[in-house]
Amino acid sequence: MSRVPLKLKVNNEELELLVEPHWTLLEVLREELDLTGTKEGCGEGVCGACTVLLDGKPVRACLTLALEAQGCSVTTVEGLAGEKGLDPLQESFIRHGAVQCGFCTPGMIMAAKALLLENPCPQEEDIRKAISGNICRCTGYAKIVEAIAAVASQHDPAAKGSVGTLKEEPA
Amino acid sequence: MRLPKFQYLEPRELEEALEMRALYGAQSALLAGGTDLLVRMKQRLMKPSFLISLKNLRELSGIRIQGKEMLIGAGTPLKEVAGSALVNLHFPALAEAARAVGAYTIQQVRGTIGGNLCQDTRCLFYNQSAFWRSGRQACHKAGGKICYAREGSDRCRSTNQSDGATALMALQARVTLRNSQGLRDLSLEELFTMKGETPLDLAPNEILTQIRLPMDRPGGASAYERIAYRSAIDFPVASAGVWLESEGGTISKARIAVGCMGNAPLLILQAGESLEGRPLEDTQALAKAARIAMDQASAFAVENVGATVEYRVEMVSVLVERALRRASARAAEEKRGEGS
Repeated sequence: MSRVPLKLKVNNEELELLVEPHWTLLEVLREELDLTGTKEGCGEGVCGACTVLLDGKPVRACLTLALEAQGCSVTTVEGLAGEKGLDPLQESFIRHGAVQCGFCTPGMIMAAKALLLENPCPQEEDIRKAISGNICRCTGYAKIVEAIAAVASQHDPAAKGSVGTLKEEPA
Repeated sequence: MRLPKFQYLEPRELEEALEMRALYGAQSALLAGGTDLLVRMKQRLMKPSFLISLKNLRELSGIRIQGKEMLIGAGTPLKEVAGSALVNLHFPALAEAARAVGAYTIQQVRGTIGGNLCQDTRCLFYNQSAFWRSGRQACHKAGGKICYAREGSDRCRSTNQSDGATALMALQARVTLRNSQGLRDLSLEELFTMKGETPLDLAPNEILTQIRLPMDRPGGASAYERIAYRSAIDFPVASAGVWLESEGGTISKARIAVGCMGNAPLLILQAGESLEGRPLEDTQALAKAARIAMDQASAFAVENVGATVEYRVEMVSVLVERALRRASARAAEEKRGEGS
């Protein structure tokens, strides 16, 4: 079957690609764009390692057809760090030792980012719920929750450019 | 895991989608959130030649009240159903069921209520990778003649594990199925065939467009309960949805639906009838209804969704009773609200 055009904004870069209809967003990100930060764990929507933001909302890249993302803005873990350095969430994961083997980390961070975009001041229960779709087989959940909570508690709703924003608002 | 190849179709409006359904029929599948369909395609349980994406069909999305019905577009995301003020006010059982599906952040953002209602029945011996299944003969569901879940069974015993379906069954929902010629209006009891091989009466040229809930029932209260290995991601191994109508503190009508036991959510009429005329706070009557529901549901369950049948059956009584107690408390609260 022939390839079809796909317009996509990935980490604020406008792209025009040719993709097979049966390619998932995950396959396009990893194999066409070499954005291998997004991981494939189970490939069937259970583990959350492939979580990316589609127009600011968390989705499983392994269960999202690339063509379903036509015209959308995709943010992967590679898109979080800016010129000023790492995203506060990434800094916090490092500071709190919330990374063990690291395989679940991109998905955890993107799920947490989605939470903070929607609710900059979440309670611990909100955090646990937000990452309930992400599995860490090293079972380091406590540190992950602490890392996210630390970023949330720093948040000052009045301050500009704080955690609750992407570098550029999704279209 | 790779998806099999298919042609991707992007209708701009419902009429166009219905024409595609008319043209491609059983060779086509409908893609809404994809969180169930794409998994089954990856496992090669389905190989549609055409995938009709519903993403541009705005008319399939939204929740509103029209006349004596609440209309929920089949393409409404589960997250929107769970968060809807209308749903939470009138049918909290449905909001609770939507909130319980998959993981809060992911399946609920993309997954839709129509997709949840129409999800295929499941079985530990069927919902596996193509490699896993290649080592055995095909079962009834896969077009063969044997059943791994119950030895000697002459038909498929796969289980309906949809949260939404169980809640909607208790709430007496109806569905609108459209094709390019017209529409069909079915109750949920009619939508489910009770056959594991083909669990839904949904023709290959049809699209489920709307779920409808009757609003002309004053004094109604509902609740949904489920039990699963983990609170997120997992399908439930037992579930219950209940609907109570009361007048002056006395139950006038009750609908009790039990999920995860049969090919469809089971509406246990006898359990509901046992509550008619009972006071809302009659906890013994609630417990008795829960035991009736358990006894009747036990005939359907087989060992095919994880936990043992004995445990799941016992949990039916626990879950029905919990749901009844919560619905009854809600009804009593509403009554107090009216009195003040």
